Amino acid sequence: MNTSVPLAARINAIRHLTEDTALFTLQLTERPRQHQPSPARFHPGQFLQLSVAGAGEAPISYCGFPSSDGSIELCVRKAGRVTAALHETALGGQVAVRGPFGHGFPLEHYAGQDVLMMAGGLGMAPLRSLMLALLHQRERYGQLTLLYGAKAPEALLFRHELGDLANRKDLLVRLAVDRAGECPPGIPSCRIALLPALLEGLCIAPDRTVVPLCGPPSAYRFLIPPLLERGIAAERIQLSLERRMQCGVGRCGHCAVGTLLCCVDGPVFAYSMLKDLEGAL
Amino acid sequence: MPLFILPQTALEPFMERLRTVGELHGPLRGSDDAVRFSFLQTGDQPDLTAVRSLLPPKKYLLAPDETILTYRPAAGYQTPAHETGPLILLGVHPCDLAAIAYLDRQFLADPPDPTYAARRKRLILIGNSCTPDNNCSCHQRPSALSTNCDLFLYQQDNGFLISVETPHGERLCQSLGDLLLPAEDQQLPPSSRSNFGLPLPAPSANELDAHLPDWQRLADHCLGCGACSVCCPTCSCFEILEFGGLDGCSAERLRRWDNCLFKSHSEVAGGHSFQKDRAQRFRYRYRHKYRGYGQLQGVPSCVGCGRCRAQCPTGLDLRPLAEYLEKERP
Repeated sequence: MNTSVPLAARINAIRHLTEDTALFTLQLTERPRQHQPSPARFHPGQFLQLSVAGAGEAPISYCGFPSSDGSIELCVRKAGRVTAALHETALGGQVAVRGPFGHGFPLEHYAGQDVLMMAGGLGMAPLRSLMLALLHQRERYGQLTLLYGAKAPEALLFRHELGDLANRKDLLVRLAVDRAGECPPGIPSCRIALLPALLEGLCIAPDRTVVPLCGPPSAYRFLIPPLLERGIAAERIQLSLERRMQCGVGRCGHCAVGTLLCCVDGPVFAYSMLKDLEGAL
Repeated sequence: MPLFILPQTALEPFMERLRTVGELHGPLRGSDDAVRFSFLQTGDQPDLTAVRSLLPPKKYLLAPDETILTYRPAAGYQTPAHETGPLILLGVHPCDLAAIAYLDRQFLADPPDPTYAARRKRLILIGNSCTPDNNCSCHQRPSALSTNCDLFLYQQDNGFLISVETPHGERLCQSLGDLLLPAEDQQLPPSSRSNFGLPLPAPSANELDAHLPDWQRLADHCLGCGACSVCCPTCSCFEILEFGGLDGCSAERLRRWDNCLFKSHSEVAGGHSFQKDRAQRFRYRYRHKYRGYGQLQGVPSCVGCGRCRAQCPTGLDLRPLAEYLEKERP
């Protein structure tokens, strides 16, 4: 398996989600080399390495549903050199990808469980991939809940989908924003509160609930204690860590989390694995 | 393991013969008195008694700076052509051989790193015995790592006792046949290799304690210059950089040695760093050296070469700390 050479892909669609974040739909234009996995076949929570020639490579979480036709959805915020270059690339432009890398959410253990998804900010991107996979086989799971918080109403991602999701009978959606703003049309009502406040009044059965958690590094410190207080075991909380994975195969050393490597051991970890690790959260 | 004798007088013809097999490199003392692994031209006298080279042989496997991919719009990303043809490294000490064994485990595991694999494939390793000095710790600490090489030279009074370690080394010896004498009744001398390839004791409970005061005390003496990591034979962190060509459409992707003692090492997009404090970074490096991480967790990567101690501008020494932490094994 040689995962070191990125495969060419074309930007097939760009949907602007907020001022600085867009959903890019890529189509592989190069076939995976022999024994190389397809970057379009992945598990929710895994990531790929996105190359924009001349700018470099950056790790990006998968955001869509695993496809067999070679299309890949990535939700990318303009944050650094590579992501800025991606935002400047026009529709039809060429990029390159390699992956998938790491371990995603342990979906095989979610069967029959209530799934309480919590996303903060851009953390909605990998959780969208998980949510699409859960809804695809909705009957396999218990109660599904999405708690999603953003800075302001206009910073909410996937607003065009949230309305439809909120209308579903088989998924509970609760939204929170840090501060009030002009609420764009079509958005279900959201509270002005911090994300942990959305847990209030929620009926949680700790023994059959798993909590996939995705947010900025600093958010985990505020999100985890209220979950533990509700009696949810540390093994049942799975969070996706953000690190600067460069090689993706456990060699460059940048994504080390204590004795673990985010790129091969993660990026999704059970909280029980991280709670005693220095520098993890 | 067949043994031969190479008389001191045959060293020059021995090297000349090696030059017909491949590019010959070995430890060469420069005008600044530093010993560096360098290309050995005819007439160059390698310093086979030097205790340590400035940089370890890892530079032959992971260049300080190397192109790993090229980009052209029509061809996309491509692996560049790798140099081929044997490169013989003469005079590699047991610690550096063990370090190469460690790097092999890291870079040749599935999926193998293509650049490393190509560089490793062309290396012929000729080991050399040495006498440890005060900075060395190979003779004090056991290591699970092996000292793989093709030939190994044991320094003797009037030359070298050569042990053949691989089929490759055996072929090499056959081509050197007339220069070597049979080593009848010779025994392998006790060597500085004796602490390699040993089983390791379990880590002590103490080592997992992040709040031991020693970390801060040691880190207070650390300037964060990163010299220890640059000269470490197993430190192999790298960063990946990409540069656009002047034509506006081609690009080149490089990897360059990086350093876990720098704050930028654990930074993510937006500038957040997960190892902001020097004490954290210092402890992180210690744990990586003595306990390993990732797939090589539990395999210490310190081979006791002593370079970090020799190079540290404030004379930091991790050995007493390791001994202190290991005292209270469960």
